[in-house]
Amino acid sequence: MAKDRKTDVLVIGAGPAGAMTAKWAAKSGANVLLLEKRQEVGSPVRCGEGMSKDWLGEVGITPGRWVNLEVEGARIYSPSEKVFEINEKHAGNEVGYVVERDEFDKQLAIDAGNAGAELMLKCAATELLKEGGKVVGAKVKQFGESFEIRAPVTIGADGFESQVGRWAGIPTNLAMRDMDTCLQYRMTNVDCDVRYCDFYLGKVAPGGYVWVFPKAEGLANVGIGVQVSQVSSPADARTYLDRWIAAHPGYAKGKKIDMVGGGVSISAPLKQTVADGIMLVGDAARMIDPLTGGGIANGCIAGKICGEVAAKAAHDGTPTKEFFQAYEHGWRARLEEKLYRNWLAKEKLVTLQDSTFDKVIDVLAGVKLQKLNVHNILKAVHDKYPEVTKEFEAFL
Amino acid sequence: MPSKKHLHIESSGQVCIYCGACVGICPLNCIYLDETRITFDEKVCTRCEICVKACPVGAIEIG
Repeated sequence: MAKDRKTDVLVIGAGPAGAMTAKWAAKSGANVLLLEKRQEVGSPVRCGEGMSKDWLGEVGITPGRWVNLEVEGARIYSPSEKVFEINEKHAGNEVGYVVERDEFDKQLAIDAGNAGAELMLKCAATELLKEGGKVVGAKVKQFGESFEIRAPVTIGADGFESQVGRWAGIPTNLAMRDMDTCLQYRMTNVDCDVRYCDFYLGKVAPGGYVWVFPKAEGLANVGIGVQVSQVSSPADARTYLDRWIAAHPGYAKGKKIDMVGGGVSISAPLKQTVADGIMLVGDAARMIDPLTGGGIANGCIAGKICGEVAAKAAHDGTPTKEFFQAYEHGWRARLEEKLYRNWLAKEKLVTLQDSTFDKVIDVLAGVKLQKLNVHNILKAVHDKYPEVTKEFEAFL
Repeated sequence: MPSKKHLHIESSGQVCIYCGACVGICPLNCIYLDETRITFDEKVCTRCEICVKACPVGAIEIG
C-alpha cells in the first residue's frame, strides 16, 4: 500500500504510559510513531484525577497548568465514619495533586512530540503483523484507510481494554476479583474540602471504595469502584454510588456535571509483559496499583524504562524477548514488590467486615504513627484490638 | 443443543457510556468498542455474563 510506513518504535496508544514511552524512545535516538485512535489525546477523560507527585521528577515531567490543586493529605473514612488523616507523603499513589487529566495527557503528548516522536491521530491498530512468531509492527486504520506500519519494536500501551497484549499472545486476562467496575460524577455545590482527597471504605463499596477528589471549592469528582466479583445485579456501581450520595447531605444537595465510567485492574503483576518484537506498558500491562487503583505514576515510570530499552533494541537490531528482559527486570525492580504487597493487602481488605474496618480506623485515628507502614499499623491495632490482627498474620 | 441466551448490549448511547469495561474483562475478547458502537461476536460469546457484572451502568442485558 502506498501509505505503508516503517519506523524504529511503534507505540500503540497515546495515554500517559504510551506518550512517556514514545518520549524516552525518541530522546534515546529512535524514530517513533505514536498512535492514538481518537482525534484528540486525553479526551474523553476516564479517571478520578488524583495522583501522587513525588515521582514526576524521576521521569522528567514538569508540573504545568494540568495541576488542578494540591492537597495536604487523605482522609480515610471507616463504615461508621471514623476518620483517619494521612499526610500526602504517606497516602499512596492517588494523593498529592488533583489534575485536569486531559491537560496532563496533552502535555505528555507535547513532550513526546518535542522529543521527536510523531503522533498519528485517528489511527487505530487493527491487528499485529507477525513473521516467524515475532511481532514486526501493526496493521492500522486511519481516516478509513488501512495500511501497515512495520517496526522492529512495537509497544502495547492501549489501556485497560488492551487488545495488543491479547493479539501478541501475552496472557492479560482478568478474573472478576481482579477488576473494579467504576463510575464517577463530577459534582458542583458539594461540601468537599480542598485540603483532602477522601476515601470511604467498607460495604458502601464492596471490594473497592468511594472517593471524593476536590477540583475546587464546592466542586469534586465523586466516584466509586466495586469489585466485579462482588456485583450482585446490573449497574451495581451506579446503585451503590447513588446510595452513598443520597446518604450524605453535603453531596446529596450537589448537582451532577458529568459522568465517567470504566474498568480498573486490581490484579497481581503479570508474569510476562514482553514477547519477541513487543512490550506492554501501563494499564495494558496491568500495572495499576491494586490497592489504590492508581495507574498513572506506574505507567509513566515503566514507560521511561520501556522507551529507553525500545530505542536500544531498535538501534542494536535485537528486538527479542531476551533483550526485552532489560525492561521486564527494570520495571519489576522499581514497581513489582509494592504492587504485589498491595495486591495481598487488597485481597485481605475485601474480606473484612465493616466492624473490623471501624476498629482499624479507630486505632489509626487515635495514635500518631512516626512512619506509616504495614508493620506499624498492625502493631498499633494489636495494642488495642489484639483479636483484629489475627486476620493480618500473613503481614507480620 | 440448547440455544444460547439472548445478550443485548445497549450501545446507542441511551445507557452505554462507552467506557470499555466490558471489553477489558471479556475472557474471550469477543466484545469490540469502536468509538460509539459496541458489538460482540455472537458465535464466540458463551454468555458467561461477566460483562453484565462489569458494566457500571447496566447497559448489558441477558435473558
